[in-house]
Amino acid sequence: MSSTTTTYSAGSIPRRADNVETAPRISEDWLSLIVGLVIFALALAGIANVDLLGWAVSTSAWTDITKALAPVAKSYASLGGFGSFVATYVALLVVLSVTVLALKSDLKRFALSFTAVFWIAYASWIVGSYANFAAVTPADLQKFGVNWSLKLTNEGGYIFALLAGIIIANFFPRFAEAIKAGVRPELYIKIAIVILGGVIAVTAAAKLNLASSLLLRGVAAIIEAYLIYWAVVYFVARKWFGFNREWAAPLASGISICGVAASIATGSAIRAKPAIPVLVSSLVVIFAVVEVLILPFLAQTFLWQEPLVAGAWIGLAVKTDGAAVAGGGITEALILAKNAAAGIKYQPGWILATTATVKIFIDIFIGIWAFILGYIWTNHINPTQDKAKPSEIWQRFPKFILGFLLTSAIGVYLVLGAPADIAAKVPAAMGEANTFRVIFFILTFFSIGVLSNFRTLWQEGIGKLAAVYVISLFGFVIWVGLLISWLFFHGIHPPLAS
Amino acid sequence: MSKPNIANELRNAAVEPLLPIEKKLIGWSLGVGVTLLVVLAVVNHLFPVQL
Repeated sequence: MSSTTTTYSAGSIPRRADNVETAPRISEDWLSLIVGLVIFALALAGIANVDLLGWAVSTSAWTDITKALAPVAKSYASLGGFGSFVATYVALLVVLSVTVLALKSDLKRFALSFTAVFWIAYASWIVGSYANFAAVTPADLQKFGVNWSLKLTNEGGYIFALLAGIIIANFFPRFAEAIKAGVRPELYIKIAIVILGGVIAVTAAAKLNLASSLLLRGVAAIIEAYLIYWAVVYFVARKWFGFNREWAAPLASGISICGVAASIATGSAIRAKPAIPVLVSSLVVIFAVVEVLILPFLAQTFLWQEPLVAGAWIGLAVKTDGAAVAGGGITEALILAKNAAAGIKYQPGWILATTATVKIFIDIFIGIWAFILGYIWTNHINPTQDKAKPSEIWQRFPKFILGFLLTSAIGVYLVLGAPADIAAKVPAAMGEANTFRVIFFILTFFSIGVLSNFRTLWQEGIGKLAAVYVISLFGFVIWVGLLISWLFFHGIHPPLAS
Repeated sequence: MSKPNIANELRNAAVEPLLPIEKKLIGWSLGVGVTLLVVLAVVNHLFPVQL
């Protein structure tokens, strides 16, 4: 989902008539890395007993709305729930406004739009935390005085945020258009993934053998997405549906690799018309939404005894980083809840870590795959002077992954290599960072929903594209993904919670 | 970027039969992919996860 990176040589920066540059000098990719690292660094101040993020808002299951919100750290309890909510909103507004300024977007428009996005998305999250939706165990039901629950856990709030976005996109299209400047799922999920690196590291460091085994198994995901999925979808699009190469290649990448980013990278690499990957991307988002609404619940029903198979499956089957990684979060919550109800309490974090690992492994190779396709196209299929160059690999490399790797490495070092008194404080510090990871997941889900205008499917001509997508996704990608996930992850269980 | 009319785009797209290089790309991708998966599955079997 990354890789929309555009680089500009000094001479090609677009300028207005008054010689003012109109293109940003830094990409959204780099900005997401910076914002993620800043939040990670602020959280780490906690190991020096300086709590810089404890005011962030967290939400608990509730029946009394006044008890739904609270600051994440008790030391900030005086702020109160609503105070911490407003503080979080203001802080994010300021930080994200800086990124928007760097991207040379309209600041006032972003501020107004982001305000709507944040408040609606978080309100959806609060609704999703209502005890009748979120409570899981009989003890929880008793505690809240309710006699039934959908058992969606707090993370079920992601679904509510997604549905709120879908409703706005499809029933209030003018409002969806009005808040478009704040609807930035790629920015939000990339920041979340950078933070997630540190959070996962704390979990992984406790069981480094298991974590490294999962990493090795992530290699299977790369092979599957690039070599098997892509080839089959490309063949289906070309041979069965008669798409020409310019359409089939971005479509195959969109369906098989990582949705939007892969489609755009491939379109650019084979020198396709820019409109083609844009059209494919709009389909990718819609189908990703459909998958996120279905697959986590299927995983909970059929794979609750194989939690890591479920995590890997979501990473392989759901396209776009945002939907996949956040979908992994929902899947984890649902499966942990079902296991908890059966008396098995797994450590949280491992299912989401598996989804994120699979997705990030796939992301890393987008640039390389796009270069391979670009080389074949510009040398053998449509020979041109504008040959694919190896430097394009770095241009298309999703830079936020560097942030993920850095926060992971620092997190593992602090837990395993730092003195015991420092290591003991790392989980709490990462807990505060994780609060922001959750908030960025919520913003991602809502944003994806707002971009999911299902009327796109009724647009003349889209049926053929959608047919390739449906046949490939539901007839092949999901099931092969399940088979491979089962092959490499079955029998591996997260450690039990102590 | 404004979205073009998809129907027109697709209608105007030329019919292109699969070239030998495309067949090679598909064949090699699948061949290498399946082979590597089998190798990984064997490695996975020989070196199970250490808990």
